[in-house]
Amino acid sequence: MQASRAPRAELVDPAVLAELGRLELVARWIVDGFLSGLHRSPRKGFSVEFAEYRPYQPGDDLRYVDWRIAARADRWVVKQYEEETNLRATIVLDVSRSMEWRSSPTLLTKRSYAEHLAAAIALLLLRQRDAVGLIRIDDAVRTSIPPRSRSTQWRQLVGALGEPGGGHASDLVTALQQAARLVPRRGLLVLISDLLVDVEPVIAALRGMRAAGHDIVVLHVMDPAEREFSLAGDATYVDPESGQSVVATASVVRSAYAATIDRVLEEWRTALGALGASYAVVSTAAPFAEPLRELFAARQRHP
Amino acid sequence: MNFLAPLYLLAGLAAAVPLLLHLWRRRTLARRDFPATRYLERAEREHSRSLRVSNLLLMVLRVLLVLAIAAAAARPIAGVAGVGHAPVALAIVLDNSLSTTAVRDGIAEFMRLRDAVRGALAQATSADRLWLVTADGRVRAGSASQLLDELAATQPLADGGDLSRALVIADGLVAGAELPARLLAIATDAQRSAWSAAIRTSRPLQLFAPDAPAPPNRSIVALAASPARWSPAGAVDAGIRSPDSVPVRLSIDDRTIARTIAPGSGPLTLRAMATERGWHALRLDLPPDAYVADDQRYAAVWIGDAPAGITRPSAGPFVEAAIATLTSAGTLARDPRTPVTVGAAQDVDALPALLTAPVNPLDIGAANRTLVRLGIPWRFGAAVSGRWTVRGGLADGALVQQRYELQRTGGRSDTVSTAGDAPWIVAGERWVLVASPLDPAATNLPVRAQFLPWLADALIARAAAAPGDLRAPLARSPRSLLHLPDAADSLEAPDGIVTPVTAGTRLPGARGVWFVRTRGRRTGAVVVQADSAENSLDRFTAATLAARLSSHGNATGNASRWAASVYAGGRARPLLLPLLVIASLLLLAEMFVVRPTRTTVP
Repeated sequence: MQASRAPRAELVDPAVLAELGRLELVARWIVDGFLSGLHRSPRKGFSVEFAEYRPYQPGDDLRYVDWRIAARADRWVVKQYEEETNLRATIVLDVSRSMEWRSSPTLLTKRSYAEHLAAAIALLLLRQRDAVGLIRIDDAVRTSIPPRSRSTQWRQLVGALGEPGGGHASDLVTALQQAARLVPRRGLLVLISDLLVDVEPVIAALRGMRAAGHDIVVLHVMDPAEREFSLAGDATYVDPESGQSVVATASVVRSAYAATIDRVLEEWRTALGALGASYAVVSTAAPFAEPLRELFAARQRHP
Repeated sequence: MNFLAPLYLLAGLAAAVPLLLHLWRRRTLARRDFPATRYLERAEREHSRSLRVSNLLLMVLRVLLVLAIAAAAARPIAGVAGVGHAPVALAIVLDNSLSTTAVRDGIAEFMRLRDAVRGALAQATSADRLWLVTADGRVRAGSASQLLDELAATQPLADGGDLSRALVIADGLVAGAELPARLLAIATDAQRSAWSAAIRTSRPLQLFAPDAPAPPNRSIVALAASPARWSPAGAVDAGIRSPDSVPVRLSIDDRTIARTIAPGSGPLTLRAMATERGWHALRLDLPPDAYVADDQRYAAVWIGDAPAGITRPSAGPFVEAAIATLTSAGTLARDPRTPVTVGAAQDVDALPALLTAPVNPLDIGAANRTLVRLGIPWRFGAAVSGRWTVRGGLADGALVQQRYELQRTGGRSDTVSTAGDAPWIVAGERWVLVASPLDPAATNLPVRAQFLPWLADALIARAAAAPGDLRAPLARSPRSLLHLPDAADSLEAPDGIVTPVTAGTRLPGARGVWFVRTRGRRTGAVVVQADSAENSLDRFTAATLAARLSSHGNATGNASRWAASVYAGGRARPLLLPLLVIASLLLLAEMFVVRPTRTTVP
């Protein structure tokens, strides 16, 4: 048996992948690729209920081979399982103006990347029969779709992700407080944001959600230039949201900036860890598989 | 420090760019969106001290980098501490002019100058490019040892040479050298007359000149036979420069013929009677002093029996009286064995003769027929009246009111004097022709004081001269080019050695009297000696002369100091490579400061 040599969508460069189709289609490719790749994982998977058989592929765990079928029909198949559909997930997507930025035309903007990622997460969860909702926020809630698991939810979510709104200044704390009121029942809350805000107010807002019984996963979206300050030359750097400006020589301030970013990320990681929330930094240059793995690894740690 | 391309220093102004960027970058820098500015601001706040130092360091590095590149482009040359010198192109001018034979404190100046040059050459290395140029413009090139050998063989010249030209030659030699250090040095006695020309070298000049006044000197500044042809009595006119009275001795062919005491500086006339005949050498001697070269001076004279002046009645009373005077004075002979006829042309029947124009215009035809018969290539033309001043010859300054136009019919002759730009006195072999009667109605020459000398010269030096003879000796400098008469075939040296010559020949470098010979007979003389300007030992000070010759001239009277300073320019090494290395190091340092910092996204 010959394994497929075609590149898997979730491992392809995000910008290249986004060029290939609409959000809905790209999200499907991502999820399909992601799911087909899970069998290579040392974990058993995240489902517990048998769903279907599929042909054995080299690398599949032999524990899932149905030996009785192999004995009767001389054909190797593996059993696949589905998780129970008892999860209510809400994706909180930051669409503030700072998310519109990218350091290079070869990259996706943080918002575009986050939308693709949100679509993929939503599709993945819906395929597990989980209920998925979406809240788009900037300085307030711009879009709210309550979590549902019915078949029309996916199209509704994709439609909402494609809405033009947002792009205003960010007031993540207020927006989160509004979002908390829109998700009264406990469930999974996935916050996708560039987190260009102070740590403490956001933690305070999330603390309330956590107290309400939500599991929280924070995906911190960063452009590579924001992580490494890989820009060049002397310039006046201006925050498009706040208008704050700093004169800097990129080459001189780079190492200091990187140290500061390390400290900032550690602050977020520590604060969110203390809250019992999962936290992952997502680079817009990274294939979508990475944040998806981070997400489901976080689910493994906090089932 | 000197710069070979100083204009490139202007590029150093570009150093202001990083400086201005540093000082005013808030106003000038481009604005770029960067959402994480809050972290950038925090980074600057948290690392303000180190960032300020880094910014300052970066600015300093960039300023220094620009300055280093600009300085390198300007190709600086500067002195570098250490022993020895970089390879140099060095031209040394050695003054070996006649004046350097002057002796001071028992040593000739030439020896001092040569020792100084020897000391300078001794410090040369095998990598140096060396030239030695002497006052005659002769160039010797080679290694230090070769030039030391050449130096040992170098002797003072018999004249002043041309030091200005020698210096220009030396300047050109080093200018064409490929080595970066091109040096020029000169050892000279700083004689004023030798450096009267206004020249300046294009590069720094290291000058050595004895730091002492010239020694006291007596000299003979002029000597000439008067007249140029003795018959056989004559005189010499001399110019003496001496602070006090000095004995002088006149000799002919090394035989003393007159002695006297010159009263001091001024002209001196010595009368003499010679028994020799033909062309001979005269020499006037002073007692030797510190500068013996100008204690002798040469002249040449033709000595022969005086002709007898035979006058025709048509010559007029003034000519008749003048010839009588010259005869009574012994300038002309009474014995008519060598007669020279003087008269109007129509009355002359044979050469040698002094022929004048007829007083009566009706005789002009007969006069012209006589000219034809005697083979004289001139004819009398129309009679003209006017007022003309005579130019040329001993008749110079006389006035002419009446004359005939002289018409040339070919043949060889000299125009001795002119009146109104027309020939007035012409002469050839054994004849002299005057275009006016020697009468006060036609010209005032007969009543002027110069009439007797003119008439004596016309009769003795021109009309009575042997065919092919030079009328007067030639005066030339040693080694100069001599153009001899076509008939001359050899040159006789003072020691009697006869050398065949062509029409143009280079005279030897020694002083003395050479004789021109034609078909085995002396037909002229060439007096070879230095110009009298070389007799003046007045000097510039070394510093004054150095300033005259070069805008970057250095002077010293100390030979060893000069020998060391000659290579001072060689210690100025090109700094291009070190500056490029410094610029590279600055660039590396700048790259280190601005190096990209790799971080890994967690």
